[in-house]
Amino acid sequence: MAKPLPEITSLTRPLWEGAKRGELLLQRCRRCGKHQWYPRPSCHKCGSLDLEWVKSSGMGTVYSFTVIRRVVGNAPEFSSDIPFVVAEIDLDEGVRVYSNVVGVKPEEVSVGMRVRVFFEEAGPEISLFKFRPAT
Amino acid sequence: MPISEKVVISGYAETPVSRARTDKGEPRLSAEEYYAMALNMLLKQTGLDKKDLRGQGVGVAGAVWPHAEIWSAELVQNLGLEPKYLVRADHGGANCAALILSGMLAINSGYVDHFLVIGADAPMSVSGEGPRTWRYELDYLMPFGMMGPNSMIAMVMRRQMHLYKYGAETYGKISVTQREHASLNPNAYLRTPIKMDDYLASPMISDPVRLLDICIFVNGGLALLLSSKSSGRKITEKPVALRGFGSWHNPGSDESLQDVTVSGVVEASRQAYEMAGLKPSDIDFFNPYDDYTAAVIMQLEDAGFCPKGGAEKFLKETDISYRGQLPVNTGGGQLSAGQAGMVGGFHGFVEAVRQLRGEAGDRQVKDARYGMVTSLGGLAYGGCFINNYAFVLEGGI
Ligand SMILES: [Zn+2]
Repeated sequence: MAKPLPEITSLTRPLWEGAKRGELLLQRCRRCGKHQWYPRPSCHKCGSLDLEWVKSSGMGTVYSFTVIRRVVGNAPEFSSDIPFVVAEIDLDEGVRVYSNVVGVKPEEVSVGMRVRVFFEEAGPEISLFKFRPAT
Repeated sequence: MPISEKVVISGYAETPVSRARTDKGEPRLSAEEYYAMALNMLLKQTGLDKKDLRGQGVGVAGAVWPHAEIWSAELVQNLGLEPKYLVRADHGGANCAALILSGMLAINSGYVDHFLVIGADAPMSVSGEGPRTWRYELDYLMPFGMMGPNSMIAMVMRRQMHLYKYGAETYGKISVTQREHASLNPNAYLRTPIKMDDYLASPMISDPVRLLDICIFVNGGLALLLSSKSSGRKITEKPVALRGFGSWHNPGSDESLQDVTVSGVVEASRQAYEMAGLKPSDIDFFNPYDDYTAAVIMQLEDAGFCPKGGAEKFLKETDISYRGQLPVNTGGGQLSAGQAGMVGGFHGFVEAVRQLRGEAGDRQVKDARYGMVTSLGGLAYGGCFINNYAFVLEGGI
């Protein structure tokens, strides 16, 4: 069974095209200058519709994380990956994203760990942004 | 006259619950059937005839059970209700709190004299697709293997353990104590007492969240009747007052890096205490929303019973059983009595009303006068909970 993939919409197409090129793109508000994640139709800070896509440094810090040790009914396709880590990662641009931290044993992941983005092909149109320890 | 002097809870109902285990003789019923049962029980308890609710208010909750966009219309037609004011809540775990607030405002304004708050759900009878989830979960959580709310609350719990050095036993105490309460509640689904060792040995699901940190889904239906104070007194000699309440949604809306260990119950409970003219030490029992043990820990802090980061110390020093200084979730809560899908939040309110009427049987809190009930709904992407409510209820009025 295939893993779930994000739906590409007119709003999110630049994000996923960027990921295919190996770039993590964030929205930034031209009015107030704030970055935001996840992508939305307007700036959640000031309400402006004038948003641009900018490239993230791809560097971040683990804010919190979970080790998935059991799949639930609606996600059997992840059972062969267990155990694996999903983390909340605070990017250096000041936004929080969820993603996997790989390339390290789950028990070695820690709050405060520095991580760097990489991209993993998940389908013809989708590459997922994932993270590894930055060292 | 303050709103809290004008509106009371005049009746309550809670159906038996089920996991639809027909192999164990449990019934497999639909949400519609539980709605009918809950209304029937409420009418019997209050002694009202269905025509007494004609032209009054009705609030229904959304459900995991597949339902139409015009769900409230479908239900009133099923039930033969003919309200003047009809609303439906989509606040997840906070559905009951949202409907109580709507009902209070409607009665206070004079628009209606009674408001029926009713909710039922049958997640264990659903086969196939439930409702569509939020876009951010579809696009930005599920592709990475996030396993729904279990994984969302794991982020909160990990962060609590990191910032405040909480050990697993702190969460275990919530699980074990609420199970003791459930063992004294004939309506609870999980009634076999557990010990700390059982908690610690329960399997890790979304580490650090164990199986016994998680509520258990059940089918069931619940109802409360809100009335103006004068009409409520005609229905019961034991009306329960809504002394204070507060609410807040999407706290920290313009922050991208929120502290996930703090909920909007800080603001909601501040409003509730202020309106009631009370402080945390005046509260005789606390029914916090308990989809997870970590949420209970967070709300002990956020509702002012201990400082942020002080829950472990507080739980070491405080008996939170029905016999203790601050009884917590005296009916067993959703962790043990069961979470009836999208109406799980009703349980804490119904239990509080029982306690304040002195009808809680073997788990009765002695001389209970003030109870606080809080509700949470909707775990946010990268944040805490979206929907937050707090109520102070008073018995013996
Ligand atoms: Zn802006």
